[in-house]
Order: sequence, then C-alpha cells, then structure tokens
Amino acid sequence: MLRHLTQFYRPQTVQEACTLLEDKTRKNVPLAGGTYLTQIDDATIDGLVDLKGLQLSSIRADSGGFRIGAMTPVFDVATSTVLTGPAGALLREAAKRIGSTPLRHSITVGGNLVGVFPWSDLPPALLVLEAEVTLANAHRKRTIPLTTLYATRPNDVIERGEIMTEIHVPAMPTGSKNGTAFIKMAKTANDYAIITVATRLTFNGGIISAARIAINAPTRKPTRCRDAEDSLKGKQITPELLAEAGVRAISGIEFTPDFRASKEYRMDVLPVVVRRALEQAAKANA
Amino acid sequence: MPAKKTPMKKTVVTPKKAVKAAPAKPAQKAVAKPAAKKPAPTAKKASKPAAKLEKPAKRPVVKPAAKAVPAKKIVPVAKPAKPQVKPVAVKPMPKPAPKPEPKPVAKAKPVEPKPQPKPQKPTHTTAATASVIPESPLTFPRPKKFQVVAKSKHKLDGIGLVCGIQKYVMDLDLQNPVYVKIMTSPHAHARIKKIDTAEAFKIPGVVAIYTWKDVPRIPHTTAGQGFPEPSPYDTFILDNKVRFVGDRVAIIAADTPEAAQEACRRIKVEYDILPAVFDPEKARDPGAPVIHDEPEAYMPIPTFFDPKHNHCAHMEARVGDVEKGYKDADYVLERKYYPHYAQHCPIEPHCCIGYLDENDRLVLRTSTQVPFHARRITAQALDIPLKKIRVIKPRIGGGFGTKQEVLLEDVVALVTLRTRRPAILELTRPEEFVSSRTRHPMVVTIKAGVKKNGEITALSMKVISNTGAYGSHALTVMCNCGSKVLPLYKAKNVEFIGDTVYTNLPVGGAYRGYGATQAAYGVEALMDECAKAIGMDALEFRKRNHIREGDSSPIFKALGEGREGVDMAIKSCGLPECIEWGAKEIDWKNKRNRPGKGVKRRGIGMAILMQGSSIPEIDMGAVSIKMNDDGSFNMLLGATDLGTGSDTILAQIAAETLGCRHDQLLVYSSDTDMTPFDVGAYASSTTYLSGGAVINTANKVREQILAVASIMPKMQGATDLEAEDGWVYSKSDTDLKVSFAEIATFSLYEKRQFQIAAVGSHISHASPPPFSAHFAEVEVDTETGEVKLVKYAASVDCGTPINPQLAEGQLQGAVVNGISFALTEEYIFDSQGRMLNPNFRYYKIYTANDMPDLKTHLAITYEPTGPYGAKSVSEIGINGPLPALANAIYDAVGVRLVKPPFTAEKILAGIKELKKNGQWK
Amino acid sequence: MKLQLIINGERKSFEIAPQELLLDVLRRNGYKSVKKGCGEGACGACAVLIDGRVRNSCTVFAAHCEGSEVLTTEGLGTPDHPHVLQRSFVDHGATQCGFCNPGSLLAAKALLDRNAEPTEAEVKEALDGNLCRCTGYVKRIEAVLDAAKTLKKHQ
Repeated sequence: MLRHLTQFYRPQTVQEACTLLEDKTRKNVPLAGGTYLTQIDDATIDGLVDLKGLQLSSIRADSGGFRIGAMTPVFDVATSTVLTGPAGALLREAAKRIGSTPLRHSITVGGNLVGVFPWSDLPPALLVLEAEVTLANAHRKRTIPLTTLYATRPNDVIERGEIMTEIHVPAMPTGSKNGTAFIKMAKTANDYAIITVATRLTFNGGIISAARIAINAPTRKPTRCRDAEDSLKGKQITPELLAEAGVRAISGIEFTPDFRASKEYRMDVLPVVVRRALEQAAKANA
Repeated sequence: MPAKKTPMKKTVVTPKKAVKAAPAKPAQKAVAKPAAKKPAPTAKKASKPAAKLEKPAKRPVVKPAAKAVPAKKIVPVAKPAKPQVKPVAVKPMPKPAPKPEPKPVAKAKPVEPKPQPKPQKPTHTTAATASVIPESPLTFPRPKKFQVVAKSKHKLDGIGLVCGIQKYVMDLDLQNPVYVKIMTSPHAHARIKKIDTAEAFKIPGVVAIYTWKDVPRIPHTTAGQGFPEPSPYDTFILDNKVRFVGDRVAIIAADTPEAAQEACRRIKVEYDILPAVFDPEKARDPGAPVIHDEPEAYMPIPTFFDPKHNHCAHMEARVGDVEKGYKDADYVLERKYYPHYAQHCPIEPHCCIGYLDENDRLVLRTSTQVPFHARRITAQALDIPLKKIRVIKPRIGGGFGTKQEVLLEDVVALVTLRTRRPAILELTRPEEFVSSRTRHPMVVTIKAGVKKNGEITALSMKVISNTGAYGSHALTVMCNCGSKVLPLYKAKNVEFIGDTVYTNLPVGGAYRGYGATQAAYGVEALMDECAKAIGMDALEFRKRNHIREGDSSPIFKALGEGREGVDMAIKSCGLPECIEWGAKEIDWKNKRNRPGKGVKRRGIGMAILMQGSSIPEIDMGAVSIKMNDDGSFNMLLGATDLGTGSDTILAQIAAETLGCRHDQLLVYSSDTDMTPFDVGAYASSTTYLSGGAVINTANKVREQILAVASIMPKMQGATDLEAEDGWVYSKSDTDLKVSFAEIATFSLYEKRQFQIAAVGSHISHASPPPFSAHFAEVEVDTETGEVKLVKYAASVDCGTPINPQLAEGQLQGAVVNGISFALTEEYIFDSQGRMLNPNFRYYKIYTANDMPDLKTHLAITYEPTGPYGAKSVSEIGINGPLPALANAIYDAVGVRLVKPPFTAEKILAGIKELKKNGQWK
Repeated sequence: MKLQLIINGERKSFEIAPQELLLDVLRRNGYKSVKKGCGEGACGACAVLIDGRVRNSCTVFAAHCEGSEVLTTEGLGTPDHPHVLQRSFVDHGATQCGFCNPGSLLAAKALLDRNAEPTEAEVKEALDGNLCRCTGYVKRIEAVLDAAKTLKKHQ
C-alpha cells in the first residue's frame, strides 16, 4: 500500500503532468497501468500523477514506421491490425505473451519499457526493431534510442519531471527483406519468462545484411547480443551458422540468478532458443 | 530404514484392539494424557486372521465383564454380570481421567440406588434399547429405473453463483468489527524470549495484542477428524516456541487492516534461534533438533508417538512374507520416489468471521470443510463450553482438503470473546501458502518382485512422510499411502512400513488424494519398470494383475486410517472398461514405444488407480427433512458442500427416494445449530455416506407421506400406493392420485395433523473404491527439455454417477490439478526454510490456456452398498497425472524422473545423463 | 476524495482515500460479487470491466476510474434475467464453488463483445487470467463457445 499517499492528480496535458512530477517539495510519481504501484508497500510517495488523461494511447502507422503512444495498453498492441509486416508481427507476438488478458489491459507499452524486469517482453522486441523513445518534460521533448535506457537503467536516464510519451519504430529500409521472431520460454501460459529472445534478420539478395538479436530474462537487463550479430553479418544462411550464433549469444552476458531456473540450464538452452529464433526469422528469405 | 528400530517389528497385522475402542467417545472434551504417552505403542498383539466383516462391534457394546466384578465377590446372585449397585450412595466417580479407552463402566453416573432388594432388571432390555439406536443398512435397494439420480440435474445454487449473489464468508458486513492479523515467525526454529508490544500499541486503532502468555495453553490438533482424532495434540493457540517460518507468534486486533499491519511491523520479538532440520530422512538422526520438546504434546489414541526423535507416527502392515516373495521372483526392482510439496490453492483463501449473537453465543462464520469438528476443537482449545459456539459454513470458495482443518477459528473466537466485537480474519495468499496446510511431501520406496509370466510375487511400500512442524493428518495420510494403493494389485505378499516425521517446514495436512497421490506415483511408475523387465506390455501387465469385482484384499482389513481397517470384497469394479476406453482414446497400441528420432519425441504413459469412499465404521452423517404446505421440503444437512455440488447431489438422492423433483428440496447445510451432525467433507464421503443418511431419512418421510395419502378421502382407501414426481397414486388405479402439496396441506391443517418430518443417520460399513485409468500423451523437446502435454484421457468408475455432469466436473478438476502438480507446481525454499515463491506469480497452476486436449469418461457400474449404487469420485482423479506423465516421459525420452515436478530443467538433465552414458537413442 | 463513476449503468459517488484499490471500494459499497483471491493481480477473481476492458480490480486505483464505466457481475444478469453466459455456465456444469465465476464471466463477456465467433484457442486465451481450481476449465470453455452461438442466433 502507498501508505503516505495524499494526492491523486489527474492532469489533462503533458505539461501539467510533468510540472507535477518536477515538484521538488513532494515525491510525485507517474501512474501508468498501476500493476506495480498497487502492489508495493511504500511510505515515501506523496502523490500519484495519473497519465490516463494525456491522450497518449494510440497506434499509428505511416511510411516512417509505427508510432505507439506510451500509454497504449499492450493488449491493443497485441490485437492491432495497424501493426503489419515483420515488425508488426514481432510486436504483436511479444505483446501477446505478456502476463494474462486482464494484465494486458492494464500494462502499458511505456510501463513495460520503463518499469523493466528481467522478464519484460517488449524491450527485446523493440530493441531489435531499433526503436526510439520520446521523453518529454514540462518544457521540451527529446528522442533517444531505446538502447540508451538499458545501457544503465531507465530511471537513471529519465530525468525528474520527464515522462515517456511515444515509441517510434522506424520503418524497415525499402527494398529489404526482413524476418523477425519472438520466442518466450516459460512454465505456463501466463508465467514470467525464463528466457526471452527477439531476432530480426535483414536480407539483401540472400545474404544477411544485418542481424539483431536481443534477449531478456537470463540477463540482468535487456541485452543485444553484438557478438552473435556480428558473426552473421554478410553471411549466407546455413544451419551451422545459425547454431554458432546461438552459442555466441551467451558471451558477455550478465546472468541474473533466479530461483526459477538455474544458470546452467539457461546457458544450456539459450543457444537453442536463439538458434530457433534465427531460423524462424530466416524463413523470410525463403 | 529408521536408525532406531521402533518398538514394534512383529510380523503382525496392524493397529490394535485398544484402538478399536476409540470411536466410543466419552463426551468429555477434556482430553487427556492417556497412559500411552510413551513411544511404546500399544502392544501389537498378533491379531487373528482378518475375519470377514460382519458388523464389527465398534460401538461400545459393552462387556463390562472384562473388568467387572471379580467372580470372587460373594454375591449369591450369579446372574448379573453387571456390578451390583450397593444400597449406599456410590462415591461419585472421579472426573474421568481422560483415558483413550473409555471403560464404559466409568460412565456410570453416581446413581441413587433404587430401593429394590432384588437384582435389578434394567428398565429397558438391551434389545429394546438397541432398537432405538438405528442400524445403518449394509446395502440399499436398487430401483428398477432411476427417476432423478444418474441425471445431470442443474446445480441448485448454480444460478445464484453465476449471478454473484451467493454469499461467501467475507461477504457479510459487520458493525464495528476488528480486523485480525496473525504475526508469524521469520525463523524456522526458535524460542521466543521476549515480545515487546509497546510500540505497536501506540498506533491508533490497535485494539488488542495477544501473545502466548495471554491465551490458554491447551494442546490440541487442528486436524478436522472424528474424535478422538488420530492426530497428535501438539498445537497451542500460541506458544513460546516457533517451529517453522510462518508459525504463529502473536495475534493482533485493530480497527482497520492497515492498523493491524502496522502493529505487526512494530512488535519487537527477541528470538533464541535454534538449529533446524529440513530433511525428513535426517529428522530422526541422533542429535537432530527436537521440534516438539514440550511436555504437553501427546497422541489422543494409543498409537505410536515419539516426538523426542521427531518421529510423529509409525504404522506397519504385512500380508504373507515378502522376503519369500522376492526369492521366488525372477526380477526384483526397487526405486525411491520423492513426491513434493504442493498447496491446494483454493481461489478463496482461509477466512473466518466471528461475532456474538443476541444470546451472547459465539457465532463463527467460516470457510471450513468440517463445521462440527471446528466447533468441538475450538471449544477444546479455548476451554469454553461447546454449546456456546455455533459454526456456520456459507458458500465457500474451494477447499480440496486444506479447509479440513481448524486453522483460524480458535483465533477468531478468542478475539471475539475478548473484545466483544465482531472479528474478521482472512489469510493473504502468501499466508495461505506458508501458514495454512500443504500436501505431505514424502520419500516413497517401492519394491516389487515379478515373475516372467507377469505375476507379482511381492510388493513392498516404505513411506517416510514429512508432516512439517505439526502433526495434523500425519498418521492417517501416511496410512492411506498403503491402504488406498496396495490393494489395487493382487500380490500374495505385501508389506507396508510407514513413518511420519517432523521437520521445521510448512505443515502437511489433508489434500485431495490424501497419501494415495504420493504412493500411487511410486507404485504406478515401478509397475511400468516391472513390465519392461519381463518384456511385457505395461497395459497387459496391469490388466493381468489388478483387482477385480469379487476379489478382496487383506490390506483392507490390515490398514485403515490410523487404525484397523475394514474388510470388504469388491462389489463393483469398472476398471476394465476404464482401461479399455482410455487405451483406445490415446491409441495405446499404435503410439506406445514409438518416440521417433526427431528433436521432439512423443510418449504415452498410463496409470491405474483406486481410492475409497468414506471411512467405514467411524464417520457418521445425519440429515433431517421436513415437509412444507406446498409439497416442498426443507432438508437440513450436516454435510458440507465446498462447491462440489453435494447439496444438489443429496437433493437428487432425497428426491429419488421421496418420489419428487430435486428442486423440491430446499437445502440448508453445515450449521451446527440447525443441521444434524456430519463429519464433514473429506475422505470422499459425502455422496456415499451422507447420501446413505439421506436415503434413511427420506425413507421415513416417504412412509409418512404415503400413510397420510392413504387416509385422504380422495384416495378412497387405496393401499397399494406409490410416489413419483411429486404425486402419490394407486398402482392399480392411477386415477386415484394426490399431489405432495395436497398431502402436506392435509397433514398440516385438516386431520390427524402432524409435521411430516424425520431425522436419519448413516454409518458406512465399507469403503468401496472408485477406480480410474489415466492415459497421457506428451511431446518432449529434446533440446530444451520442455514437455508439452498433448492429450490426456481419464476414465473413472464411481458406481452410479448421481449427477454425471458434476461427476465429470470433479474428474476434470482433479486431473487438471494433478497435471500442474506434476509439471509446474513446487515450493522453493531457501537454506533457512523460508518459502521463496508463496504467490501465484511464482507458484504456477494451470490456466485455461495451458489445457491439453482432455477427454473424460464415466464407466458406469453399480455399487450395492452405496446410495443408488454410488461410490465416490472427488479425490481419485488427482492421483493419475503424476505417474501417467512420469511414464509418458520415459516412453518419449527414456528418462525416469523420481523428483517431481517434471520441469524442463530436470528432463534436459536426464537426457544429458543418458547421452553421457551412451544410452541415448 | 470523491470518486464519481458509473457502475452497472448507475451513477455513483463515493468517498475514497487516494490509495484505495478499486476492489476494496467496490466491495465495501456492496458489490460483493467482486472477489479477493490473491490481491496481486494473478488470479482474476477480482476482474471487472472498466470501459469495456477486463482488468483485475486489485491492480487498479479506484481514483483512476473517475468517470469510467464499470461492469460487475451484478450488472451482467440476475437470477430472473440471467445473461446468456451465466445461463450457459449453469447449463454446462461450469460452476462448482463459484468463487472464480464473476471474474471469468466478465472476461468471457469482454471477449464476446469484441469477437462474436471466437475459436476455442481464442476462448482459452481470453480466460487465461482467471484461475480456477475446481473445474479444470473444460466445461467453461464449452459454455462460452455455446453462449457465443446463442448470442449470434439472437442477433
């Protein structure tokens, strides 16, 4: 319970909301889906700033790619008819695997990116899509690559008084062939992930021109597997190549201990899951 | 093997005479220290070979002669075996030292001697007295055609449930309540040196805080079982010692839940931390920390109890000579299995509300399976008169055994009585996982000897059951491992050795399956191995060896639930049909032993099962029925509907007997003031036992209905009357008929008025097993170890399914529970005995989206001892998945798993091991 | 603070604390069909419809629902006028203890409002947040599919 909460704000504009969050005399925090803040026991938060009224829930597609409002429930992403193509398929699959139906109606895209956990599903998908996020405060906006958030931690990057307003997924380069895949390993349908892998392969004339692999769950934070990606670039697809990339995916990873599955098991299985996600993405080249 | 040989080791068959006396209970609530507090269990005198069961005189048909007036009394009258009543005031018997063996003589009240010089004839003959006490029939008549039962009638409370208007415990609003919170221990084993509540009391809204010094110290058991309970009295409301992480430390009552929470945070406790023991195989080692070192703990029935060595219960049973059997075998196989911790996960956690009514009586509105036991045990623990308490069970949100326990009622009663305000206590989900009850994890060793021709020459089961920090159901669950599993196979030589030990871990209790779940896993997995050893198909092997109609098993008599069992022959067995249906459904012939060589491999596994129906000769249920003007009936049942639909089932049975529609019965159940006694919902009793009581009662009412009809002018003196569909008619002239409404109105208002009504009871004399066969098809991913359950087929023989739709629902629910138990549920502890995953986010149970293709089938048989041929159905289904899946996984990838749950990690480890040893195909 | 919203078609005004959960506010104002099973958004017993979306009311601040339309099972149907889904649950034997029913029925309603002809897989997914320990789910999946057919017929 938020034991010391005294105010519940309902701003109608981004500027209003950010002004409240900037207030140094109080600890006001943003409220998105609420699945986290309703569960914690806290005696420091003075005010909740409900972002519901800011009109930040929308999904748009145009030639520049997708623009998804940060307050969009992930359920809408999972069922969207606007998110098409390999990028759209990837987003929809990742969003579909989050939690359960009632939770998907509460969890927002922004919340899933900012309130990130090892098992958060959208971050790896958006990382391989090279998404950018827009952060706004009461005075200005700025757009940064999503990777910046996870280089350290979102709360280190997002300044006081700033909220995420939009996620931009740039369109795939015209003329390229792209394949994507998302695989989540978990014990039951609504379980947190034990391993999450998102992949994207871009082909030019049968050769991999770019590979993007992102994982979450065994790692402390959503991570791009640069070593594995490099091993694929400029190559022609063979089963051995993909298997090798899977093995390389382990290198340099900070494994998080977790009582749900051992490190050994995850290290054993991660190469398999990466390989399979690459195989799936490679189907686009067929 | 236990380090210390326990005192008994005779090749003797089971629990003793002394125990037999147990059911006869002195009404005394003061339970005492029986002499048999020592570990020396009551002598296991060699009993006679199990006699065929007549009507075992379990009741105190007293032979006072046993210790009666010694013959040498120079009484000229040789006649009375009874002690003479001397013409002087008999000294009042000392307050019966609560002995477990009630000498019926002791019951003699200080009788004022009658001035009769002659040896007195009792004013009632023994025969006359006996006829007042009802005899429960062994069998029930079988109607030619079912009118109401064996039909999927709608659930009487169904529409209320789906419209959200049925009320559960927490749906009652109270005036000015206090909210109760139980503070629990962060340590697995510690003494409480000091509790400082000063800071806590400073919080506004805190009304009371009780510690061990503030409450009665009366040892009792929380197990909701018949008195005297076959569970040790090792629990106090609050103690100055804590025995597991989650054990009670203090009770807080406050005006708001938040204040109670805050108070809990501010109470300062000084602990003297003690070493703890978590491994059941080490709990009895010399030097192991003694968990129950308090002098007050004792066992209320004379069976084994050795808390000084954390040895809570022991039971043995033998038939024939297993050593000889193993010598005769061509193959002897043995394996150890480790069925694991699990929680029932009723969606409604434990909750209880208490208040004082306008007669200053304590009313407990509680989510319980055992209202009458709850009343009795609460009275005992608080040392208050039982008549001061009323227990009501409204709708409850599932139990599955965890609510066969008196877990909150004592606390709520205490707070209500002391504060004189209504008290509300609801467990949080983490508290439900940690501090309520769990399945007993066990180490089950199965050994079998088989001949090449498929004969089982010997079958041994050894069980070490981990009851956690307290012993509720410790003995009986362990006994059920043997009694509900071993009879399934015809083996000439059988041995059962069971031990239950204490550890500093969450407490095992009653959980659907009740020991059979754990043991069936071991037996069914080993049977597969036996078949393989002799090169026989596993299905054929089972068909060759399982018990059938007409057979009996010496195990029935040898092993009951903590006591002697009851002999019986199988009068109904649909197992062959179950097996045949399931084998076809899963395509056993074509899919077994054909995993293929792909990355994903398929496997088929099976399991056959039995359970029981009620605890014969011990448990009793009663019912009362009265008729209303319009031909409807109020039926008051002690029996407890947990959502199982027993209210509806019993209404159908009543309707069948009375001759009307089932919705003519207005059912009210489980209120200790209003409804007659019933032991409650456990041991798969409600249909079989309480159903019998319903028939006994409804028969009496039907007689009255027919009698009234016969004097109604409209019926013109016809005597060949029959009742059907709410009408009574003359068999020879069906135009002569009168409705139930007319009969009732006549009986209430017109002539020779009386209330058409009756009370009836029932004790069962057998526990006829339902039978079940389960088949599973799995697909194993050999690169990740993940198991996908593709298809599951389960068939059950429950005799006549009183309501086929509800019976099927019971089977489906039990199977799905068993599946997630086998694949995804586990308690994860840290090294200090703290559960790391006490919530649904990390303790995973199946959702609708995890479901395999699940097919179910009811094999119809007719059980003559059951109401309209019914047996039970509620528990058996949960026992199948663990062995069926273990066997299926072996069929797919050759990995034998003995430590469930069967996670991907374990399967992959098994595959890696096979590869390392060059055994991977 | 004051909360104004529409529950089961009726305008309501409640006095609430800012950190109160919707679950608690609903229950203490008489909507007892909304059940507390776990308090952490994992079991679905507390699910209600908020502006047409099925959400666990224990994960929603009451204050967040200002101006919203909320549907609980009391508003879905009554014994004399049950909703097709409620009738179907009873007819198919999909209700045992009933504790999970309110949340499950509302999740099913949200599905049928959005998708009038769901496949079995879609029904399973729509109910994936409603834990049931009694029934094994089989009969409720049948009940929802059957209700969908019935509703379609009535259109």
